[in-house]
Amino acid sequence: MPVVEYKGKKFEVDEDGFLLGGLDAWCMEWVEYVKQLEGIEELTDEHWKVIKVLQDYYKKNGVAPMVRVLSKVTGYPLKKIYELFPSGPGKGACKMAGLPKPTGCV
Amino acid sequence: MENRITDIGPPYYAQFFPPVIKKNYGKWKSHEIIEPGVLKYTSETGDVVYVVRVGTPRLATTDYIREVCEIADKYCDGYVRWTTRNNIEFHVTDEETLRALKEDLKSRKHPGGSYKFPIGGTGAGVTNIVHTQGWVHCHTPAIDASGIVKAVMDDLIDYFESMTLPAQVRIALACCLNMCGAVHCSDIAILGIHRKPPLIEDDRLEYVCEIPLVLASCPTGAIKPATVEIDGKKKKTVRVQESRCMFCGNCYTMCPAMPIADGEGDGVAILVGGKISNRVSAPKFSKLVIPYIPNEPPRWETTVKWVRKILETYAKHARKYERVGEWAERIGWERFFELCEIPFSSKTMDDYRLAYDTYRTSMHFRFTSHVDIK
Ligand code: SF4
Ligand code: SF4
Repeated sequence: MPVVEYKGKKFEVDEDGFLLGGLDAWCMEWVEYVKQLEGIEELTDEHWKVIKVLQDYYKKNGVAPMVRVLSKVTGYPLKKIYELFPSGPGKGACKMAGLPKPTGCV
Repeated sequence: MENRITDIGPPYYAQFFPPVIKKNYGKWKSHEIIEPGVLKYTSETGDVVYVVRVGTPRLATTDYIREVCEIADKYCDGYVRWTTRNNIEFHVTDEETLRALKEDLKSRKHPGGSYKFPIGGTGAGVTNIVHTQGWVHCHTPAIDASGIVKAVMDDLIDYFESMTLPAQVRIALACCLNMCGAVHCSDIAILGIHRKPPLIEDDRLEYVCEIPLVLASCPTGAIKPATVEIDGKKKKTVRVQESRCMFCGNCYTMCPAMPIADGEGDGVAILVGGKISNRVSAPKFSKLVIPYIPNEPPRWETTVKWVRKILETYAKHARKYERVGEWAERIGWERFFELCEIPFSSKTMDDYRLAYDTYRTSMHFRFTSHVDIK
């Protein structure tokens, strides 16, 4: 599996660039790395709110929240989540939050 | 995100109508199949259009598509369409062009000798096989798609180019029981199955899989959460109760750390008797008749043999207009097994939740001989 280096840190990732070490390997450098991949100019409180909801939900339940749950808890409609994370809640926000890659017939 | 265009949808279909279709849209009066692969539609306005249907491998190169376009440019003013079974249809309006088009299509072959554009697929024959990705592109298959389809169509090409069956026979293939496509509702269906439980990669499962999702993916409740110790570290993982697992592979779809494919274990199951039209009888699901045939790349001889056997037994015994499922239900499934010489095994008996309704709760049956495996 490929390893990416960013600001002196090394991350093991899969072929789609999701963090393989899970939340254990997650850190600020990872967030910054994904930020530039995603083309996000600046991380606002709104970005952080989404990341935090995803991580809390994952720690508590062992799964990523369904999109409707994410919208309901953050108060952001899907459109807003796409504005924050252009690749969407799965490929964008979950990747940045260090959650496992979404599976199934995506 | 600059200059990004989204949500524009597909182009409006009418902009690709051949002129004769545009003019007679909604005015068609009748049609006839003038020969295998060639249809003639007549409109209220008196216009006629001839349609030549040709088989395709579905998986095609841009060179192949360019060749289709070249043919369409030459005979059909650049218009062409694909059917819902991935055949191609060329439209022409006069018999002279029709003749030239047919001649041209028949003359085109691949270097290996296969016809590029075999004409057929109409009426009571065998048309194209609706199929899936197989080993070309998917990660959950138990069999290949394109390979088996080519082997079966090579064997049944005479039925593609003729209309001699009691009714049309739809063959479909899916390389795993996600059943992308039409296997659950086809006259004859080729389905990829596994016969071994998944492997569990404990060292990485908790990082790459959402465990509750994995538990919930199992139709038989065979998966339980578990903890293991690897190099002194506790890791969350799952365990599969193997006596409950029926190798569907759903857990692998949800969790990459549970691979299930196996060269020896995987193979083909054959289902028959499905249909989606409501002509005479209501739509039916196809039913399992052969639980396992080994994978035999590149020609899958045993699978090809059984598909032909079922098709020919049906052709010999069914009444006109009767689909495979209607025939099997009329004569009784015990007669179907006997006539097709398919060995019946307990694997064919339903044992999933609503199974009771599939058992015989009547004294009506025929005495038949159980068929031995040959
Ligand atoms: S049938 Fe299964 S293996 Fe085949 S393409 Fe669909 S999901 Fe993939
Ligand atoms: S293969 Fe199917 S039946 Fe077996 S454990 Fe996985 S989900 Fe359950």
